Amino acid sequence: MTQIEPSRRTEADAAALAPAAAVAGTAPPIATEDGVIGARSDAGWIWQLASFVLVLGAWEIAGRWPISLAFPPFSRVMTALVEMTAAGDFTHAYAITLPPLVVGVTVVGVLGVALGIAMGLSRGFEWIGMPLMVVLQTAPIAALIPLLTYFYGVSATSKTAAVILLSAPIVVLNSYRGIRNTNASLIDMCRCFLGTRLQQVTKIMLPHASGMIFAGLRLGISAGFIGVVLAELLISPTGIGDLISYNRSIARYDKMFAAIVSILALATITLSVLQRLENRLFRPDHAVS
Amino acid sequence: MLILGRLACCAAGLAALSLVAWSEPAAAQRVIRVGQADTLTGQNLPELIAMANTEKRLGVKFNVIALKSDDVVFQAVINNEIDIGIGDAYKGIDTLKAPVRHFFLLRRIAYFPVVNSEFYKTWKDLNGADMAVHARGSATEAMALQMQKVNGIKFGQISFVPGSEVRIIAMRRGTMKATLLDLPNTRKLTEEDPKKFIVLPVETQSASDEIFYATTKFIGDNKDLVQALCEELLRSLRAVNADPQTPARLRQQLGLLKDLPKALVDDITPYFEMAVPGGLFPTDGGGAAAAKADFDFLIAAGRFTGQGSDYKVEDFWDLAPLNSALAKVGKN
Repeated sequence: MTQIEPSRRTEADAAALAPAAAVAGTAPPIATEDGVIGARSDAGWIWQLASFVLVLGAWEIAGRWPISLAFPPFSRVMTALVEMTAAGDFTHAYAITLPPLVVGVTVVGVLGVALGIAMGLSRGFEWIGMPLMVVLQTAPIAALIPLLTYFYGVSATSKTAAVILLSAPIVVLNSYRGIRNTNASLIDMCRCFLGTRLQQVTKIMLPHASGMIFAGLRLGISAGFIGVVLAELLISPTGIGDLISYNRSIARYDKMFAAIVSILALATITLSVLQRLENRLFRPDHAVS
Repeated sequence: MLILGRLACCAAGLAALSLVAWSEPAAAQRVIRVGQADTLTGQNLPELIAMANTEKRLGVKFNVIALKSDDVVFQAVINNEIDIGIGDAYKGIDTLKAPVRHFFLLRRIAYFPVVNSEFYKTWKDLNGADMAVHARGSATEAMALQMQKVNGIKFGQISFVPGSEVRIIAMRRGTMKATLLDLPNTRKLTEEDPKKFIVLPVETQSASDEIFYATTKFIGDNKDLVQALCEELLRSLRAVNADPQTPARLRQQLGLLKDLPKALVDDITPYFEMAVPGGLFPTDGGGAAAAKADFDFLIAAGRFTGQGSDYKVEDFWDLAPLNSALAKVGKN
């Protein structure tokens, strides 16, 4: 029994993790020999670098062709990026863009996770919250964002609300599914040891769901970046949205692309750091040393 | 073998016929793609009437496409996805040296300073107050900067809220107390509550709001078409200036904007009755005088640098089609 139980648990855990990975948008882990994983990790950066070189090289060629006067080559965009950084444009812009993003993600991180857990534990909360979250997840939020001005006016609150609208469904649904996908045999085991409901939740369900909740938070931050930029483009051109729309309106496409590249880079770095943190905390077998 | 040969002949004949049938409609009626920002409403009737008359004269078809904003229209023109743009391309020509030229001024800018009278009643009251405009570098920002100079005041902060329709919502809610609005939204707000929302006095602006432009290649390859369009635009705008009821009447005669909701149909004549005395529609097509006024305005807005004399009209306008049209239709 002691030899069989661990293997059964691993299979069940893997089954529980599969939908988590599907929701989180990450590939499920592939069990291979340690040596093979190590070899792939070593070679991985070369492929990543090759991918960047290929895409950016194609961009440079297309810009120099040129396929359009409105499409500058990558080198000119990088020059504009350096100029704008030196001029302090990004410091000023991100000082406006990041606070609503941080506030929105924090609100979702606390209330969204709490709601998701409550939905996972209670049929009542599930009945109330699930339809709303599914509708929000499928709704064309870009069309709804300008309507936020009806409720919050043209303010940072509207931007925060846009961040919450976009990131909440992902965080809530991931938390909900994390709780719901708890391995039934683990809960049975807790019952066998006469564990209380509180112990089931705190000792079994939450630790089991934590990986998926964290993955939801990571993807929620990604959606938050989309939300804050959409709000700045559609409600009030401020921060990074102002840099994009203003430079487009004066046909400085190199600066417009530089602003887009900056937000892409910031989002990518943030998400990569969170991915590594997630791997270290919840999937140590995938942590990159 | 003979049967096979006959079958091959029949197939070739059918293929040739189908090719002719497929290509003939395209050859019969050429489509000119026209791009403009925002959806079409009754306010666009002067140019729609001119296009309808040009269609009749030359047997072409104008396909007017509404795009998100002026800069998207400009992008579509330089990418050859649109033949003629309506808006303005000054900054694009200046920055990119784009081979694009304006050829007809359709409408002058008309924005009005609307304030909440519970807080402000005169220009002096606005000293240190916040003013909301469309966007950084926009015509409304330039106007706000001009008003500061003219009235000897300094706004507390100039904030950017794109879209007059968004700004009137903020004015109604009280989160915004002073802004610049376009003519229809000014009318809407002041008619809703004439005591609360008032318009401060402002000088008539001479800068351009909407100008027809196209690539130099298109203008060069389609001289007759562009000139005919200029002629019809002159006739249409002069008719509108002579009688503001003309657009509503011709809309019915020519069958334009058939799907327009009744509320917007009812707004057509009141709009033109307000716009015509405001001098929105020039009767001379703009030309060099409009270009020079625009240079001064763009410098005031911070979009152009230096002096107005640093900029050459021919770098931004192709005056030949307009001059030919004026010679044919008459100067005024």
